Amino acid sequence: MNANLAERLAELPHLLSAHVILSMAALGCGIAVSVPLGILAAQRPGLSAVTLNIASVIQTIPGLALLALMVPLLGGMIGFWPAFLALLLYSLLPILRNTIVGLQGIEPQIREAARGIGMTRGQSLRQVELPLALPVIVAGLRTATVWVVGAATLATPVGAASLGNYIFAGLQTRNWLSVIFGCLFAAGLAIVLDQAIRWLEVAARDRRRGLAIGVGVFLALLITVSVMPRFVTFQGETANLSRVEASAAPGIAGETVVVGAKSYTEQYILASLMQRQLEAAGARVERLDNLGSTIAFDAVRTGEIDVYVDFTGTIWATVMNRPEPIERHRMFTEMSAWLWEEHGIMTLGRLGYENAYGFAMRRDRAAELEADSLDDLAPIADELEIGGDPEVFARAEWTATRDAYGLGAMRTRTMDATFMYTAVRDRQVDLITAYTTDGRIAAFDLAVLDDPLSVLPPYDAIILLSPQAAQRPGLADALAPLIGAIDEMMMREANRQVDMDGQTPAQAAAWLDAGISE
Amino acid sequence: MIDPAAPVLDIRSVGKTYPGGVEAVREVSLTLERGQLLALTGESGCGKTTLLKLINRLEDASGGLILYEGEDVASLDPVQLRRRIGWVMQGDGLFPHLTVLENVAIIPRLLDWNPERTRSRVADLLDMVGLPSAEYAERYPVELSGGQRQRVGFARALAGEPDLILMDEPFSALDPITRDGLQQEFRALQADLGFSAVMVTHDMAEALIMADQIAVMQDGAILQQGTPVELLQSPASDYVSGLLETPRRQMRAIRELGA
Repeated sequence: MNANLAERLAELPHLLSAHVILSMAALGCGIAVSVPLGILAAQRPGLSAVTLNIASVIQTIPGLALLALMVPLLGGMIGFWPAFLALLLYSLLPILRNTIVGLQGIEPQIREAARGIGMTRGQSLRQVELPLALPVIVAGLRTATVWVVGAATLATPVGAASLGNYIFAGLQTRNWLSVIFGCLFAAGLAIVLDQAIRWLEVAARDRRRGLAIGVGVFLALLITVSVMPRFVTFQGETANLSRVEASAAPGIAGETVVVGAKSYTEQYILASLMQRQLEAAGARVERLDNLGSTIAFDAVRTGEIDVYVDFTGTIWATVMNRPEPIERHRMFTEMSAWLWEEHGIMTLGRLGYENAYGFAMRRDRAAELEADSLDDLAPIADELEIGGDPEVFARAEWTATRDAYGLGAMRTRTMDATFMYTAVRDRQVDLITAYTTDGRIAAFDLAVLDDPLSVLPPYDAIILLSPQAAQRPGLADALAPLIGAIDEMMMREANRQVDMDGQTPAQAAAWLDAGISE
Repeated sequence: MIDPAAPVLDIRSVGKTYPGGVEAVREVSLTLERGQLLALTGESGCGKTTLLKLINRLEDASGGLILYEGEDVASLDPVQLRRRIGWVMQGDGLFPHLTVLENVAIIPRLLDWNPERTRSRVADLLDMVGLPSAEYAERYPVELSGGQRQRVGFARALAGEPDLILMDEPFSALDPITRDGLQQEFRALQADLGFSAVMVTHDMAEALIMADQIAVMQDGAILQQGTPVELLQSPASDYVSGLLETPRRQMRAIRELGA
């Protein structure tokens, strides 16, 4: 079996179980909220109009946006809870609507018969109306199930593990096997749950107790198997830890450290590298990958993650809102002081390389336009199209560059960072906002244009520790060997190994580690 | 406790005015003797169904007094009251998701009878209405003919051993032959079990054939009450004679065919 497939399979128990727990918790609570609400609303036309309208509005919010919105609404909390809440809201409409429609669709004569023979309101509901509306309610539940299991893949960027990790990470590292893996298992899970509910309905309708028990046992097993790995791995790792404890530095052995990563190749490699260092010191490492750019900072600020890698220029422009770039060492010093005073976040140090935004073009296209620097583009800006990742055109660096060089007439096109490099290579756009450490600049023979006015701020890679992690000297000790240890050549080569050669981020991290130890 | 000589139902000056001022029932007084069948008849909208619903409090009267077995129904819990009075609807009103057995056993279960008593009562009733439980108990309403469904409806209404049953157009959805057979069977059942009944019908012939007493209603009030013979011999108004004219004409027509 190849290494890629083996690694994907190794992640499966964790991701699949996280996905099952997340979607079943959201669905379970969704049912608990929307069925009673639907019963109440079915008897009150005013209430049913209001609740259905609210649920419809929620439904029109794109899933990714709804999930992302939960993070600020929960005060910057990331992980399970914002994902759970968003999916719960997402599940409401189909169940609520079908409960109302199902109950209102019962013939008035049947309801009158129940009342006439002496049933109370509750008996009529439980013994007559709900059983008769059941097929319609179950249809809504099945719709909700398929939606929620699908939308749960979008939980990855808010820091909740799910099968979406395969999809997001695969997309960023051009690992299509990983993307397909995520899609297949998410679709498979949706189908299995949908069918389980269908069989439960058949069992209820035909009163086949054996079938109901069978499906019930299956669902219970699914939940148990999903919840189990958490405890099993925990015990296994504790056993491992007691062995290393003796040799490890005091202060961190046996402790849990949460390492965060944004959603692109370089971040996965660096997170794996930090994981290696921390595990060597005896810590138990949990990973939170694929965090959105600002979500990662929020997460370290609130202590949801202990450590991650960011860039001086990013913090400067996006977090500190300082539009004007300054000299790189002063920026590092001022930024470190600001982070410490404002948020208690510790800047452990610079890794050594710089990963700046650069404007990259095909070398032959640059020659054709006689462009060496951004200055040369101003006169022909209206003929050019620039590609960039989803966040770059919203950042201060882009507006500053655009205004400084008079590039306002240039058409912008947003795409995933993975596709930018091939897009410029294949002449689908004229230039892109590249990352200077990306291995594909050299591989595709792209030219990076000069920035004579020094508008683009410096982007030194830095390790940030949360306020809580800053109080754990053992953690800083374990990561200290990385400071100043990675230059641009090494980082670009590591990125290239993943993006071009199909290595896993963990393999690239091992290669970096070997280089550092030499 | 129950006085066998006293009327089962004693309705005194009862009225029903809906919000908005529509008077559906005005100043109605009636009595129903034990074991008898009272037919409420009249044209659509005359208030006969509303009057029926006032008895088991599916609707509450605006004025007057209704005594059931000597008790003022307004002072009773409506749910408990309805469990003591059988209820048969137009169509059948059976619950489509329950079997014949479960439909009939509903009221005994609501009344918390023990399973043994429920089982034997349901079996007896199904036999009495001509649907042997061995063959029909596990069937669903959709698997029965219209007449069979109505029989299950009767069995369900009688399951709780009520001494009064209320029926709203119980035979109107059936074809004439089934209807005729079922009307006869119902009277036989009533003679066997001794319960009293109030039946709403717009079909004067049905009222004449089945009822001990007939009350003719118009605009919420009773025009005339009496036995079928009394009505036929001395109708109180042109309106009542008009209603009686249809069955009379049919009878004449059949006789003239020369039997």
